[in-house]
Amino acid sequence: MERLLRLDRRVIFACVFLGVVVPLLVEFHLPIGATPPVQAVYDALERQVEAKQRPLVLVCFSYGASTEPEMQPMARALLRHLFGRNARVLAMCLWPEAPGMAQEALQTTAAEFGRVYGRDYVFLGYKPGASSVILNMGQSFADTFPADASGTRVDSLEVTRSIRNLGSVDLVIDLAAGDSVEYWWIPYGQEKFGFPLVAGCTAVMAPDLYPFLQSGQLTGVVGGLAGAAEYESLVGSPGAATAGMRAQSVTHVIIVLFVLGGNAGYLLTRRRHGMRRDREGAGER
Amino acid sequence: MNGSRAVLAALVASFVAVNVFLLATGRLSVSWGDAGTIAAAGLSLALFSFLYQDNPLFRLAEHVFVGVAAAYIFGQYWYQVLYGELLTRLATLNEPSAAGASGWWLLCPTALGLLMLTRLSPRAAWLSRIAFAFFVGLGAGFTIPRYVSSFLLAQLESTLQPITWDWHGLNLLLILVGVLSVLVYFFFSLEHRGAVGGVSRIGVYFLMVSFGASFGYTVMARLSLLIGRITFLLRDWLHVM
Repeated sequence: MERLLRLDRRVIFACVFLGVVVPLLVEFHLPIGATPPVQAVYDALERQVEAKQRPLVLVCFSYGASTEPEMQPMARALLRHLFGRNARVLAMCLWPEAPGMAQEALQTTAAEFGRVYGRDYVFLGYKPGASSVILNMGQSFADTFPADASGTRVDSLEVTRSIRNLGSVDLVIDLAAGDSVEYWWIPYGQEKFGFPLVAGCTAVMAPDLYPFLQSGQLTGVVGGLAGAAEYESLVGSPGAATAGMRAQSVTHVIIVLFVLGGNAGYLLTRRRHGMRRDREGAGER
Repeated sequence: MNGSRAVLAALVASFVAVNVFLLATGRLSVSWGDAGTIAAAGLSLALFSFLYQDNPLFRLAEHVFVGVAAAYIFGQYWYQVLYGELLTRLATLNEPSAAGASGWWLLCPTALGLLMLTRLSPRAAWLSRIAFAFFVGLGAGFTIPRYVSSFLLAQLESTLQPITWDWHGLNLLLILVGVLSVLVYFFFSLEHRGAVGGVSRIGVYFLMVSFGASFGYTVMARLSLLIGRITFLLRDWLHVM
């Protein structure tokens, strides 16, 4: 048992590596059901589609390359839902690293549904200033974004022509790998202008956002790769997140087994040492 | 040659051999795109090599990453902020913006920004205080009311809801007990003994559950990143997926 406690950490790394590689190479099916926070995101968009034929949805990309494996499948799944339901998409970035990934996700998914730039979606690019950008958009959209990412004036594009400020937006989706939901969009956007706000975030951030879900400041949360896989199953388009969940599930089992084994080994060793100490104490007496 | 150097040499030799095989079999071509894939695969493996032990390949990849990230961020800030937001607008001050406002107001933040640079000179550094005072005042004015409203009042309102005899009511009760007991745990003006000690112990259990949930989510997030990188290696580099 003590050998288990002295296990070389590289053995654990090797097991985790195999736990990732094998499920990626061997296809098998695991059921993926939507949890209430993810279902709430899906329902929020469906409600907007029912209320308005073509709702205007603002998608804010606030993540960089370091969280691409988690966030990009989520962005694609959400955009598939938006384009599939013929929503008008207004995309912007509050992180300097985000524009490349935002453009990739927008172009790929828009092409899948035959959506046209300017008529169905617009990409505004990156704007520095974080919370100031949100406050400015609340005052005047055209003054905050006079032109889109490629320099075309927003008053010449069909999607953006009629937008006055954040009050014109039907739903805001923030795809975040940092503080943007909690410290930018909630206090300076949702609280001030009252639009429905949903968040797509990394798994690390998800526990911090649950209090805002409970208070109604957030309408729904898609958290991490698991959330992305749930959304893929809701829109009926399994992709990278669904494939990743096979590896995720197997690796979680491996980690849980190591945690249980480590704790069992620790408790047994402590018990044995305690018994030995008792014997030695009795001998001394 | 010691053991770790031999492992490192074997890793490099294997990487070269695999790439030669991929190029020879046509899975990778001689193009800028595939050169990028090979470089990305090599840097990924070099970073993973740290799991075996620290080595020069890992440090090389680490320094390349820091340099590329710094240059990318600098480029973004230069083109999007300094050039895109400031220089081009300063060049067209007389033209009204899309909303019809004049562009002359831009001179104020520009002057404040330049005042910050006076910190570089010890004699003129006091001028930077004007800019700092403006930003601190503005920041506090914007932040305090919004944070009190969003993080305190809105959270209090949702915590202090009427408790009902159903599952929702049980959740509300749990949240209420959790909030109160954790607040007692962080109240250090009373000794944690007797009733106060008991309540603060309940707070500790709530905190432990919270840390456990955060840790579980963190493990999931880190594994997602590993899955993403291995997917890249298997699909885009080795073409076995």
